Amino acid sequence: MSRPRLTFHYFHLMPWPDLPPDFDEKYDSAWVTLPNSIYDPEKGHALYNRYFDELERADKLGWDSVCVNEHHQNAYGTMPSPNIMAAVLTQRVKRARIGIIGNALPLHDDPLRVAEEIAMLDVISGGRIISGFVRGTGMEYFSYNINPTLSRERMNEAHDLIIQAWTRPGPFSFEGEHYNYRYVNIWPRPLQKPHPPIWMPGTASLETIDFAAAHRYPYMTVFMPMEQRKRAYELYRRLAEEKYGYEAQPEQLAFCVPIAIAESDDLAMKEGERYMMWLFQKAMKVPTEFFMPPGYMSLRSIRAAIENRASFGFGNTTFRELVEQGVVIAGSPATVIEKLSYYTEVLHAGMLVTGGCTDGMPDYLVLKHQEMMAKEVMPYFRQQELPPASRPVEVHSEQP
Amino acid sequence: MTEADRASDRIERTIEVQGIATHLFEAGPPTAPPLLYLHGTHLGNLWLDYHRLLAQRFHLFAPDIPGFGLSERPDWMNDMSDYVLYFRELMTALGLERAALVGHSLGGWMAAEIAVWYPGRVSRLVLSNAAGLRVKGVPMADIFALSPQRLLETCFENLMTAAPLIPREINTDYFVRLYAERTTLAALAWNPHYDPKLARRLQGLSCPTLIVWGARDRLIPPAYGQEWQRLIPGAQLVMLEGTGHMPMFEQAQQWAAHISSFLVEPQQQQEVKPS
Repeated sequence: MSRPRLTFHYFHLMPWPDLPPDFDEKYDSAWVTLPNSIYDPEKGHALYNRYFDELERADKLGWDSVCVNEHHQNAYGTMPSPNIMAAVLTQRVKRARIGIIGNALPLHDDPLRVAEEIAMLDVISGGRIISGFVRGTGMEYFSYNINPTLSRERMNEAHDLIIQAWTRPGPFSFEGEHYNYRYVNIWPRPLQKPHPPIWMPGTASLETIDFAAAHRYPYMTVFMPMEQRKRAYELYRRLAEEKYGYEAQPEQLAFCVPIAIAESDDLAMKEGERYMMWLFQKAMKVPTEFFMPPGYMSLRSIRAAIENRASFGFGNTTFRELVEQGVVIAGSPATVIEKLSYYTEVLHAGMLVTGGCTDGMPDYLVLKHQEMMAKEVMPYFRQQELPPASRPVEVHSEQP
Repeated sequence: MTEADRASDRIERTIEVQGIATHLFEAGPPTAPPLLYLHGTHLGNLWLDYHRLLAQRFHLFAPDIPGFGLSERPDWMNDMSDYVLYFRELMTALGLERAALVGHSLGGWMAAEIAVWYPGRVSRLVLSNAAGLRVKGVPMADIFALSPQRLLETCFENLMTAAPLIPREINTDYFVRLYAERTTLAALAWNPHYDPKLARRLQGLSCPTLIVWGARDRLIPPAYGQEWQRLIPGAQLVMLEGTGHMPMFEQAQQWAAHISSFLVEPQQQQEVKPS
């Protein structure tokens, strides 16, 4: 029997943990409307650099990549421009890949800028960029005043434009419904061939899973119960096999799951409860109307989301319940290995995305977490080499 | 009044316009002057007292705007110009060469656009708590950020009168339908949530116009009523005290009386003097 295989990706949200004591009573959202007077730039300076140190350390400890992402006007993640963060990381992170998971394409009126910036980063980093594409959360359609009813169309079209900008010799013209250019001719071009790997994180939309499966892009489930992850992977697998005629590989199924790891299960539960609940109970506090703006989801997906009780936040769920539901993992290295083996052996998912200090966790604990993962968990999953990465195929959304 | 009586006071039918199966109510004396009523968001497929009151003196047509009630919205129909052209054809299909237009909220915005683009088709215009403009410094409420409950609380001064809008069963189908209707509104009014060109164009209107507003409107504040009056030459403004965004629910009699008497006023009293 083959050993389980898994790659490890250290993902940071760079949150703003310093919420006022009366946050619960006074504010109904950590997004869109939370007053930015709560953000203190002096503290922010120290925090950003602390977070960069953390990512630099993950590189030195042997993580396969360090990852950042894009969010706007909120306390959950303070990286409105993930490409700026990635630029900093190209100078700090010498070995690991740098994942931008991802740029929220529909939020930007000029996706060519994203194509250019990723190409720049890929050249600067010597071909180490992973380029995630997301639609952005529903909240961001309020913050950027982008029409959510156009989100899916803009996403697909921006994707096509960027892939073409990276792979087709320029200059050429691009004639889309939402984006129209006479001259697509980006300088520089990306270093990786045919282009940097694409990842697609997703929450609840069936269409995103279909899109990822069609292009053989890794689909990443984000914070969600195991049942929901299973459904997502099953759908991806089924679409790959029945609609697109191939067998989905482990490196196409990624899972983002926070992990509390400590010397014992009990201690991991205690530390996890202390430092992870902030993320689920405060940073993810969002009214449904912000989370699911009209048209952001298809009627098919919204029906499925309502029936599955999907939501961004986890309300009054306890830490123990989050562990039981598989939203997070907590335990000793042996327990963590056992839980991760469920993903690799049963779900055949091959990419773990985790990490990142959230609620002002003391740095020695962050370091302990990083080291235990690197020294006691990674070796178990690295005893067999990974197969070569599957190559992306160019399937464009206009084509049947 | 029994259910049978209620059902007999109007005709309910579906007509095909631009390939859209359009559900509508029709009522009132066929010889009376025609009145096309355009409803607001989430107010399609309703037949209530305010419809009956209008139908006493007019030949009333109350279609469900595509994307609301029982009229589906095709994907291609996603901006105001699509709706204006659609309504022009709807009027033709209904045999309305010229009619009075009464629009509430989103329907008011549409009625104003129709009057701007096809002035020959609109005999008189009534806008009740209408969307479509921006008054700087006086923001409209962000309807997309309001939960269904908060939306009702914002629209109604007297929640008892909202009873016809409360579904018998709140289930997945209800939420999906609500989401679909909100999606139609978002396609039209997410950004911008008004027509930036409309203010200038209204100044060329010559059709007699009445603006009716609930003085307590918290969704589209009364300043908007005043702005419509300021922009449309000769427009009259009626502010109804004690009601807000839904005067036709809360003060159906007064609301309908103001509209009816305006619509039957002799034309010469309405001579418009450009300002």
